[in-house]
Amino acid sequence: MDETALIQSAQHGDLDSFNTIILHYQDMVFNTALRILGDEDRAADAAQEAFISAFRSIASFRGGSFKAWIMRTVTNACYDELRRQKRRPTTPLEPDTDDGEEMDSPKWLADPNMTPSQKMEADELEHAIQHCLEALPDDFRTVVVLADIQGMDYSEVAAASKVPLGTIKSRLARARLRLRECLRGFEELLPSAFRLESEEI
Amino acid sequence: MNGIRDIEKLSAYLDGQLSPSDSIKLEARLKTDPELASAYDDIRFARGILRKLPARKAPRNFMLTRKMVGLKPPLPRTYSFFRFSSAFATLLLMFTFAFNAVSPRLAVVPAPFGMGGGCEGGCGGGGPAPELQAPSAAATEAPAEAEAAAAEMLPADAADAERSTETPSPKEPEAGLAQQAPGQNEAVLIPVIWQVVLLVVGAAGGLILFLMNQAAKRKWK
Repeated sequence: MDETALIQSAQHGDLDSFNTIILHYQDMVFNTALRILGDEDRAADAAQEAFISAFRSIASFRGGSFKAWIMRTVTNACYDELRRQKRRPTTPLEPDTDDGEEMDSPKWLADPNMTPSQKMEADELEHAIQHCLEALPDDFRTVVVLADIQGMDYSEVAAASKVPLGTIKSRLARARLRLRECLRGFEELLPSAFRLESEEI
Repeated sequence: MNGIRDIEKLSAYLDGQLSPSDSIKLEARLKTDPELASAYDDIRFARGILRKLPARKAPRNFMLTRKMVGLKPPLPRTYSFFRFSSAFATLLLMFTFAFNAVSPRLAVVPAPFGMGGGCEGGCGGGGPAPELQAPSAAATEAPAEAEAAAAEMLPADAADAERSTETPSPKEPEAGLAQQAPGQNEAVLIPVIWQVVLLVVGAAGGLILFLMNQAAKRKWK
């Protein structure tokens, strides 16, 4: 995929080219939105909004890292969603189990290759991390999601967040420290395999 | 350990974002400072656990449709010309209707008392306005004085001839005004043919615009 050519084509209004770009980035954009918002449906909505907004403003893209540019669009969409949520808080409805109890994460365990215990571990791990991520301030969460979950380097994170590099370094360090503190409380819940790995780190 | 500064350095070191000289210094301190080493482990743990998070696949395709982004089919260049001409013709047509509706009412409105304007030619068949009678009287008096002077110098028949050509008779202005009055009293209307032409232009323009739109949409699909 020649990304530059596709971007140029999209800048001239070619929607098919932009859709090719979307196919390349949609998992990354959705994951970022999911980790920032913590809800799959709202993350999907934010991702869709982000792509619509990106297409409308793609003429303003002046080169550089397109990944950082698209990440800035999705983080902005997530911030909009968070603001909306603060104005009108809602309680998500979780599906019930056979016993009539709420099922916490019905879709997380969808991988058919996992054994039930592996699914349980993955579920617990993801729950614990998501809980700790949501405890972070929005700015810190965005930086840590972009740098540690999406694997972006500091300059890309700075471009995506529109903050100086020094601020990124500071936020990332503080966020990691807070996450560590938060995850201490979940150590017993973490899967055994992960506990062993984390001890080896 | 030196507070948050050291934490930032440790975090940057972990990501390979520290300069080589700073890295060497930090590595030396890590060997001697157990508190710093513990903080380093914490940060490394946090980063490690975040990287363990499974990447999720998007639940659906986020590909955009033209409707979603509000894209409209490209229209030919002449479209704007037809749009302008159609709109202009419609406006003019409305103006002609409005003008034709208002014009007769303006024509029959009597002049307010003492204003003089509007009915100077005589409204409703009344006599000439007083100020119009004055010039006719002056016109008869002033030539009369000139005649007396001229009569002394010119022969009688020449003076008569001159009088007949230059001095109007006192009744002439009244006759002239009487001829103008009916013309000014009639309302000026825009001919129906113009309205028909404007209607045709407006309707034809609208039809052409509609056809252009349909053709562009068919091509777009």
